Amino acid sequence: MRRIALAAAVTALTLGALTACGGGTATTAGGSASFSPAAQGDGPITVWVDATRLAAAKLYQQQNPQVKMKIVTYDGDANGSNYLQTKVSLFNRTGNGWPDVVFSSQNNETTWAVQSGFTAPLNKGLIPQSTLDGWATGANAPCTVDGTLYCLRNDLSQTVLWYNATLMKQWGYQVPTTWEQYQALGLKVATEHPGYLVGSAGDTFTPEIYLWASKCGANQVTGPKAVTVNTSGPGCTKMATLLDSLVKAKTMATSSVFSTDFNKNDARKVLMLPGPSWFGGALFQGGFKTPKGQIAAAPMPQWTGDNTPSVGNVGGGTWLLSAHSKNLKAATAFLTWATTSDDYQGKLAPGYPAYAAAAKTWLAAQSSSGYYASDVSPTLQAAANQVWPGWGYGQFSQEAIWAQTVTPGMTAGKSITSLLPAWQTQIANYAQSDGYKVSQ
Amino acid sequence: MPTDFRSPEPSASAPATAPVVTRLARSRRARPGLKNPLPAFVLLLFAVFFVLPVVWLLLAATKTDDQLVHANPLSFGSWHALRANWDALTGYQGDTVMLWLRNSALYTFLALVMTLVVVIPAGYALALTEFRGRHTLLVATLVVMLMPSATLVVPLFLEMNAVHLIGSMWSVILPYSFYPFGVYLAYIYFSTAIPRCLLEAARLDGCSEFGAFRRVALPLATPVVALVGFFSLVANWTNYFLPYVLLPQDDQFPVQVGLGTLLDAVPQFNPTVGTLSVERPELALATLLAITPVLVVFLFSQRFLVAGMLAGATKD
Amino acid sequence: MSISARNRAGSERTTRRALWPGRAGHGFVALYVVLLIAFGVVPTIYAIYFAFTTAGDTFAGFSNFTDAGGDFRFLPAVGHVALYLVCWLVSLVVFVVGLALLLHRLASRGVSKTLRFLFYIPGALAGAASVMVWLFVLDPTVSPVAFLLKALGFTTFDQVVAPGGLPILFTLIAFWTGAGGWILVMYGALNNISPDILEAARIDGAGPWQIARRIQIPMLRKWIVYMCILAFAGGTQLFVEPELLSQASNGVAGRDYSLNQLSYDFAFQNNNVNTAAAVSVELLLLGLVAAAVFVARSGFFDAD
Repeated sequence: MRRIALAAAVTALTLGALTACGGGTATTAGGSASFSPAAQGDGPITVWVDATRLAAAKLYQQQNPQVKMKIVTYDGDANGSNYLQTKVSLFNRTGNGWPDVVFSSQNNETTWAVQSGFTAPLNKGLIPQSTLDGWATGANAPCTVDGTLYCLRNDLSQTVLWYNATLMKQWGYQVPTTWEQYQALGLKVATEHPGYLVGSAGDTFTPEIYLWASKCGANQVTGPKAVTVNTSGPGCTKMATLLDSLVKAKTMATSSVFSTDFNKNDARKVLMLPGPSWFGGALFQGGFKTPKGQIAAAPMPQWTGDNTPSVGNVGGGTWLLSAHSKNLKAATAFLTWATTSDDYQGKLAPGYPAYAAAAKTWLAAQSSSGYYASDVSPTLQAAANQVWPGWGYGQFSQEAIWAQTVTPGMTAGKSITSLLPAWQTQIANYAQSDGYKVSQ
Repeated sequence: MPTDFRSPEPSASAPATAPVVTRLARSRRARPGLKNPLPAFVLLLFAVFFVLPVVWLLLAATKTDDQLVHANPLSFGSWHALRANWDALTGYQGDTVMLWLRNSALYTFLALVMTLVVVIPAGYALALTEFRGRHTLLVATLVVMLMPSATLVVPLFLEMNAVHLIGSMWSVILPYSFYPFGVYLAYIYFSTAIPRCLLEAARLDGCSEFGAFRRVALPLATPVVALVGFFSLVANWTNYFLPYVLLPQDDQFPVQVGLGTLLDAVPQFNPTVGTLSVERPELALATLLAITPVLVVFLFSQRFLVAGMLAGATKD
Repeated sequence: MSISARNRAGSERTTRRALWPGRAGHGFVALYVVLLIAFGVVPTIYAIYFAFTTAGDTFAGFSNFTDAGGDFRFLPAVGHVALYLVCWLVSLVVFVVGLALLLHRLASRGVSKTLRFLFYIPGALAGAASVMVWLFVLDPTVSPVAFLLKALGFTTFDQVVAPGGLPILFTLIAFWTGAGGWILVMYGALNNISPDILEAARIDGAGPWQIARRIQIPMLRKWIVYMCILAFAGGTQLFVEPELLSQASNGVAGRDYSLNQLSYDFAFQNNNVNTAAAVSVELLLLGLVAAAVFVARSGFFDAD
C-alpha cells in the first residue's frame, strides 16, 4: 500500500510540474490588437517547407548566403495530415519550438492558426500594402480574417475548361461557352463517339470544380466561425442535374482522374475536362502523358443569362509567418521573396503563381514550352480574377465531406441530385463539430 | 485418457532425448495413404493470402509507373526499370532514404538493448518470485497497455519537453524501451515454461536469487529473449506516430516517417505535388528497403524464436 | 546431533527463502517500474486528468464525455467498431490457433519454417508501407486478384470499398499484418508442450483433433487469453486499417470510421485534447472490463 501511495505521490508531483508548463497558453485570442512581437534579434530563422517548396528555400539560401536559415521539410499538411496544427498546439503548450515561416499546401490554415495565436498579421506594418496589391483579385481571401491578412497565397488553382484541341477540330465540335452547350455537346459525344469523356465527377474535387463555379451556396463562410449551408439553391441543383444527365450518358466519368482505373481505361479518351490550372502540367503532361500539341484551355462555361463569369478553385498553398518569430525582419524578407520573386515563382514554381507579376513570367515559360496546342495564358489569367467569392475556406474539408458522403452514394447508383440533402446535412454536421455556427 | 494437462509439471520429467522422440513421432505419424489433404490445402491457401500482395510489391519495384498500371499485375518489369527506380530513389533529396534507414537502425538497436535489459528480469520476477506489489504491477502494466495511444502523445511530448529532450533522439528511444507487451510475453513464458522445481533446486544449492536467474532462468530464456527482442524491434521499426510527432528535424526521421513523406510526394496520393514528384514504383522500392532489415533479422532469429524450449530445459 | 544440524540448516534455508524472494523481486523489476511510471502511468493519468478538465484546466465533470457522445460521428462509430470486433476476434482466434496447430503437425520442419516466415512477412509492412499495396490489390483494374474481385461482382475500387463490406476488409487487412506474429507465438508455445504427453495420447488412440482440443489448446490457455485481451482492446481501438484505406481511397472509405479515429480528430483536428481523452478513457474502460472478464475466468495472474 505504501508503495502505491508513493507512486501516486510521485505521479502527482510530475503531473503538477507538467501542467505548470502547459498552463496559461490554452487559447489566446488572435487579432492584430493582441500581436506583440517577441524580443527581436539576429538569430537564425527556421523554415518549414514541403518537398516541392524545398527548391524555394534552397534557392533563397544560395542567393543570400548571409541569412542564417534552418530548412526543415515536412509533409506540407498534405491530405489533411494536420501536422502543422498538431505541432503548433504542442509548441503552444511548451512555449517554444515554433518555426518562423511555414509553407502549407492547404489554404484554410488561418481557420485555426489565427485562433491559436500562431500567425502574425502581415498587413499591419510588416509588408507594405503596395506589395500586397500585387496579388490576383481575391487570391488572399483565404488568408484574410476580419480584414487582417494572416498568410500569403502561394499559387492559384482557378478552374478552366481543358480540352483536346486536336479531337475537337477533327470531329468539328465548338468549344462550349455555356453550361447548356457543354451539356448538349456531352450528350452528342455519347452518341457520336461513345467512350469519350467531357469531364469527371468521381473526384473529391467535384464540388470545387463544378458546384463552386456554378455559384452553389454549400459553403458560404460568413465569419471566422459562421457558415451558411444551402445545397438546394439553383446553382447547386442545376449543376447536379447536368452532371447526372452526363453520368447517365456515360460521358462524365465516375472514377477519379487520379485513380488507376481512370489512368488505364479513360486517360486517352478525354475530350474535355473542367479542372484547375495545375491539371495541365500535373495531369495531362505528367499523369496521362498526352502528347504535346493537343491540349488547350478555354474559359469555364457559364450559365446562360449570368453576366458575372465565375470559376471554381481547387487548392493552392499558403505561406504563414509565425507571430512568435524572434527575427521578423529576416523571416518577412524570405516570406516576401518566396511568394513574389520571379526567380522562384516565375521560373521554378510548379503551380500558377498567386502574385500577378510572377504569374506573367510563369505563363511566358508555359507557352514557350510548346506543350499546349495554343497559348493558355489569356484563359488562365482571366480565370485568376474570376474565382467566385461566395464559396469560403472553412476549417472542415469540403473535399473529404464529398468523398465520404456523395461518392459512395454515386457508386451505389444514386443520382447527385438525390444526394444533395444528405450532403448538406453532413457539411452542417462537420461545421458544427468544428465549432461553426451553421445556418441552413 | 487424462484431460487435464494444464499443470506444467510433467514437462520437467521430459527425457533428454526429447528432440529425437519428436522426430520419431513425426515420422511415424506420416502414414502414407491415410493423409488428409485438407490441412495442406488450408496452409497453402493462407500462404497465398499472406504472400501474394508481397510478391506484387516485389514486382512493382521492377516496373515503370506506366507498366504498373497497364502490364499484368504479376509480371516482371525489367532490370532496367528497377535500376532507374533505384537511382531515382537514392537521388531523392540526396540519399535521404539511406539516412532514414540509418536512423531507424540506430533507434531500434538502442531501444532493443534497453528493452531486453529491462523486460526479461521483470518478466522473470513477475512469474517466479513473490514480492509485494506484484499484482499491482501486473495490473498497471495491463492498464497502460490497453490505453489508446491517441491521447498519450500529448503528455509524452510535455514530459520530454520538461526534461529538455525535445529534438534529441532519446525522446523516441526512451519511450520505445518501455515495452509492456514484452513484459507480458516474458511473464507468460517464465510462468509456463520454466519448471519451478528447477529454481527450487538452484535455491537449495545455495544460489542467490540473482544467481538462480542468471544460471537457471537466463539460459532457458533464449526463446523469449528472441521473441521479445524481435517483437520490440519490429514494433519500434514500424512505429510511425511517435517519431512523427516528437522529432522536429527531417534528418532525424526514421524510415517509417520517411515513407510517409515519400507517399505524400506521389501525385496519385497528393495531387498538389509539382514536378519533383516520386513515382509509385519508387515508393514500392522504398517500402521493400524499409522491410528488408526486419525480414533479415526474422530469418536469422527464427531458429531461436520457436526453438524447442524443453530441449534446453533438460540439458541441466 | 546430525538431525538437529540438518534441522538448523533447513530452517536457515527456509528463512533465507522467505526473505530473498521479496527483496530480489523488487530488484528485478526496479528498472521496469521506472519506465512504467515515466512512459505508462504518468501519461495515462495525465490523459485521465484531461478527460475530466476543460482546456483552461478547470474541473469539467462528465461534460467531455457527453460532448463526445453527442457528436454526430459517435454512435455510427460505436456500431462500426462493434461489427468489426466480432469479425476480428473470431477470425483471429480461430485462424491463428488453427494455423499454429496445422504448422506444428507438419512432418517437414523445413516446410513449417518456410511457411511461418511467409505468414510473417506482412507483419513488417505497417502503416504507410502498405497503403500502396492495398490500393492496388483492392482495385479490380490492376489487382493481382482481379479475377476474385470480379467474381464477387466488383468492377471498380469504389465498389470494393463500399460501406457494407468495410468490417470484412479491415479484418482482412488487420489479419494480414497481425496474424503472422501471433502464429509465431502460438507455435513457440506449442513447442513447449512435452512430446511425451502428445505421444502418450497418441498411443491411447487420440486423433489429431482430440489432441488439439484436449491437450494442446488447454495448455495454450494463457497465451490465448493474452491474445484475446490484446485483440479485444486492439479491435476497439481500430485505427490503422481505416486510416490506411482512407488514404488509399482519397477519403471515400474509412474516414471517421472508428472511435479511436474520432479521438484523433478531436485531439489534432479540433485541438480539443479533453474530449479526445474522454473517448480514450471510454476505450480504456472497455478494454479493462473485457480483460477483467478474461483474467477472472482463466486465472491469468496466478504465478503457477
